[in-house]
Amino acid sequence: MHFTPRLQQLLAALRCLPGVGPKSAQRMAFYLLDRDRDGAGELAVALRSALDEVGHCEHCRMFAEQALCTVCADKKRDAGMICIVETPADVIAVDDSGGYRGRYFVLMGRLSPLDGIGPLELGINLLERRLREETITEVILATSATVEGEATAAYIAGLAEKQGIRATRIAHGVPMGGELEYVDSSTLSLALSARTQVPTDAVD
Amino acid sequence: MNSIERVEFEAAFLLHAMPYRESSQIIEVLGQHHGRIGLVARGSRRPRSRWKQTLRSFQPMRMSWAGRGTLQTLGAAEATARPLVLTGMRLMAGWYMNELLINLLHRGDPHPDLFAHYGAALAALSEGKELEPVLRRFELVLLAEIGYGLVTDRDAVDAQPLQPERMYAYVADRGPVPAVVGAGDGLVLSGADLLAIGRGDFDRPERLLGAKRLLREKLNWCLGGRSLKTRQVLAAMLSDGVIDGIGA
Ligand SMILES: [Zn+2]
Repeated sequence: MHFTPRLQQLLAALRCLPGVGPKSAQRMAFYLLDRDRDGAGELAVALRSALDEVGHCEHCRMFAEQALCTVCADKKRDAGMICIVETPADVIAVDDSGGYRGRYFVLMGRLSPLDGIGPLELGINLLERRLREETITEVILATSATVEGEATAAYIAGLAEKQGIRATRIAHGVPMGGELEYVDSSTLSLALSARTQVPTDAVD
Repeated sequence: MNSIERVEFEAAFLLHAMPYRESSQIIEVLGQHHGRIGLVARGSRRPRSRWKQTLRSFQPMRMSWAGRGTLQTLGAAEATARPLVLTGMRLMAGWYMNELLINLLHRGDPHPDLFAHYGAALAALSEGKELEPVLRRFELVLLAEIGYGLVTDRDAVDAQPLQPERMYAYVADRGPVPAVVGAGDGLVLSGADLLAIGRGDFDRPERLLGAKRLLREKLNWCLGGRSLKTRQVLAAMLSDGVIDGIGA
């Protein structure tokens, strides 16, 4: 089967998407060219302008179209708190929870020495400068509950401690509605080690 | 090589995991009887994957896999003990051992003794044993297993047993050569120190330092110019001065 040169180019380009193999690339390309040429045009324009205009916030590394992202530019957010996350998707998740009004720092990954990802790759020098120069009272470590995520959290906690800043770790453990017998043992041991005092004033 | 192989519940450690396709991983594993193997863990990155908590470094487990060729498919992974908890420099040391194994072992070569030494080294690190001797003993065993062990029992000129009181210069690709006074080239150690290093006995600081230099030279040679990423990242971390903080 022969595709035209431009079609071949499109198929190859679509395959840069995660999980897209030759078959699904072909399905997408045919759909765009055959069934929805208007949609395809919008996609092309949106992709081009996003590539041109969306960069990273120079303060927290979140996606941004100006020097600062919307969170860093928002004067009403608590500038004394930084929540450290691994990805832009984590920023959205924490912010959508509605319980947090501070700022963020996006590592764009986590410490993974075997992949060559160390402090430089995670923008730790930028974070360190913020810890030194801003008036920050608490660093909340919301990295993943993996060996690498825990290492990253502990490393940043060390940096915060050097500046005399309190570092806290989000609790990982039993999910809401989780029956204990179905929670795996390492989650349970993590949850046990991070147990908290139960307020008793409601009982007295 | 082309027939389907099936392995049931072999003791194993995960050395490294890389994202693969939308929701899977390619994992490098050290198995007790099969040595270093590459496996595809299908769906292991899905939020509700049953392997989410098990597939982590330093977690003793049993694994089953099947397939043909060098990249097979993970079928089961069950933790057999609590994960070994490594922090700070000890965690970096654990990652360093993993990187050495990935770089120096050929897939599918069995190394049952090395598997036992690796587990013992991780246990020693997690129990707070002194770090450097643990790493040096692991490097000694690893090099011997891949056929590039240090020569620490006889000299390289006429294969005579080393004499404890004599001085030897260690020539990288040959071994210990009786040292000529004034011709100081390379590392010079006493026969007693070399014999001790061979036994993994680092009671004296000069033996530990000598072993480090000999092993570093040999490892670099075996790596053939590839640099270890854990070494580079460690250097960057040391410059921040908070290395002892890392780890769970
Ligand atoms: Zn920002």
